[in-house]
Amino acid sequence: MSIEVIKKGRPRAYPPRPTECTVIFWEALTKGKFQTTKCNDCNSFTFPPKPVCPHCWSSSVSWKELSGKGTLYSRTTIYAAPATFKNETPIHAGIIDLEEGIRIATQLLEDDPIPIDSAVEIVAILYSDGPLYGARKPK
Amino acid sequence: MNRNVAVLGIAATPVGKYQSDASADIHTLEHEVLAKLVIEAMKDGGLPKEEIDSLILAQCRPYTQQKYFATFMANYLRMPCAASVMEVLGNGMTGGIALEQAIRDIESGRARAALAMGANFESATPSAEHMNSSMRATGDVDFHTPFGLTPIAWYAMDANRYIHEHGSSRRELATVAVKDRYHASLNPIAQYQKTITLDEVMAQREIVEPLGLYEVPPRGDGAVCILLCSEDIAKASGKPYVLVRGRGFYHEGVHQISEIPNDMIAFNSLQRASKNAYENAGITAQDLDFAEIYAPCTIVEVLASEAMELAPRGRGARAAADGETTLGGRIPISTSGGLLSRGHPAYVTPLYNMYEAVEQLRGDAGKRQVADARLGATSCELGNYNAAMVQILEAVR
Repeated sequence: MSIEVIKKGRPRAYPPRPTECTVIFWEALTKGKFQTTKCNDCNSFTFPPKPVCPHCWSSSVSWKELSGKGTLYSRTTIYAAPATFKNETPIHAGIIDLEEGIRIATQLLEDDPIPIDSAVEIVAILYSDGPLYGARKPK
Repeated sequence: MNRNVAVLGIAATPVGKYQSDASADIHTLEHEVLAKLVIEAMKDGGLPKEEIDSLILAQCRPYTQQKYFATFMANYLRMPCAASVMEVLGNGMTGGIALEQAIRDIESGRARAALAMGANFESATPSAEHMNSSMRATGDVDFHTPFGLTPIAWYAMDANRYIHEHGSSRRELATVAVKDRYHASLNPIAQYQKTITLDEVMAQREIVEPLGLYEVPPRGDGAVCILLCSEDIAKASGKPYVLVRGRGFYHEGVHQISEIPNDMIAFNSLQRASKNAYENAGITAQDLDFAEIYAPCTIVEVLASEAMELAPRGRGARAAADGETTLGGRIPISTSGGLLSRGHPAYVTPLYNMYEAVEQLRGDAGKRQVADARLGATSCELGNYNAAMVQILEAVR
């Protein structure tokens, strides 16, 4: 059930800050495992992963692997970007509904625009300084 | 004790570019601009300064050097206050929260009169630098910002979803920008007053696909002061005033996108907030003569008009293209020129929207006057309308 890991030979423009909770997500992602937290009491997923359940406020959560399969809900291409991202424009981004019933926003890896409501898959992207993720048309 | 609250005085600078570069020999500073507006708004309302019990400031941008701006202003204008002196912040809703806090102080009886005001100076900071800060305000810093999502990128995704679901087009949405500019051409305090054509809008460089330069907000500076008081005081003044007849607020407990998939372009917080405001005022959407909507992009005005029941679902863009929201149309929207052309100094934008509503309801709107305007609505928001605030205002002349 692992996702593909793609390498990029440059650092991330704006690296996320791992915490004791989310470092587990980022380290697994590096190995091609895309996972998040699921509540042991109400069985709801949450994304981003959290040490508590935002739905029922239980403090008992477990890690659950996700398939990485989903549908593109909407998309855009950003031409006017923050200074931090000046070397990465244009930026392709989208909102994805994962098949486990979780909505996320991430970058799109595409040459031509991926149509809205079409299938996408999550891939891990290993930059020179650490991981991120993105979505593309299924291979 | 719940007292009726009135808006009695207003003052604002034209939206423009005032912020001085750090190296300027002579600076234009927020407190001097705002102090003049306070005196102007008090003169407009005909109240002495001793009546003011609350001073509610929209927080300044991080570029403003003077910190603790509210207490600084209390000193600058020698204004002892018995109820509140505070700064509020809530992204684009900031000015709306300032108004709401002033209203609460008066309705509860803690304050006789209150000032809701602010100065948003930012134009000397280039957009790419400014976005380094704003990108952290409209998303999760660790799970959205690393992908380069900017505040308006979320609205662009609203636009593409709307076009996909409702068979609309960028061109149809762009008619909102033409309409806004026409309204702004009649507004002396608007940032951009030269009319534009639909082809000109379509020909601008892309900013966030599918939106080009004229479909997203310009950057600018502005300052506004709104004087509110109990209706008793307003009545005794003998001046025309505007009654705050209803209010609604809702935060859907979501920051930009719901992790549980929902209908993102329904703007359900605005649906709830406007429904509450209409009920609170004892009116329906059909009773409104105009609406001054917080809409940073063309698509946002369309979605907001639908959420506020001013147009049927999926038909807001069509209604705008057909002129229903233009002055003289069925329900004029953003007669000031809106955020796109009146301008959008974000932390005070809701105060500018109140300014426009008051001009309309007092019959002071000149060439852009909505005929016999008695009831108007304002909206403001934060995120992707994840929180919404609506005020229903009534003319008393």
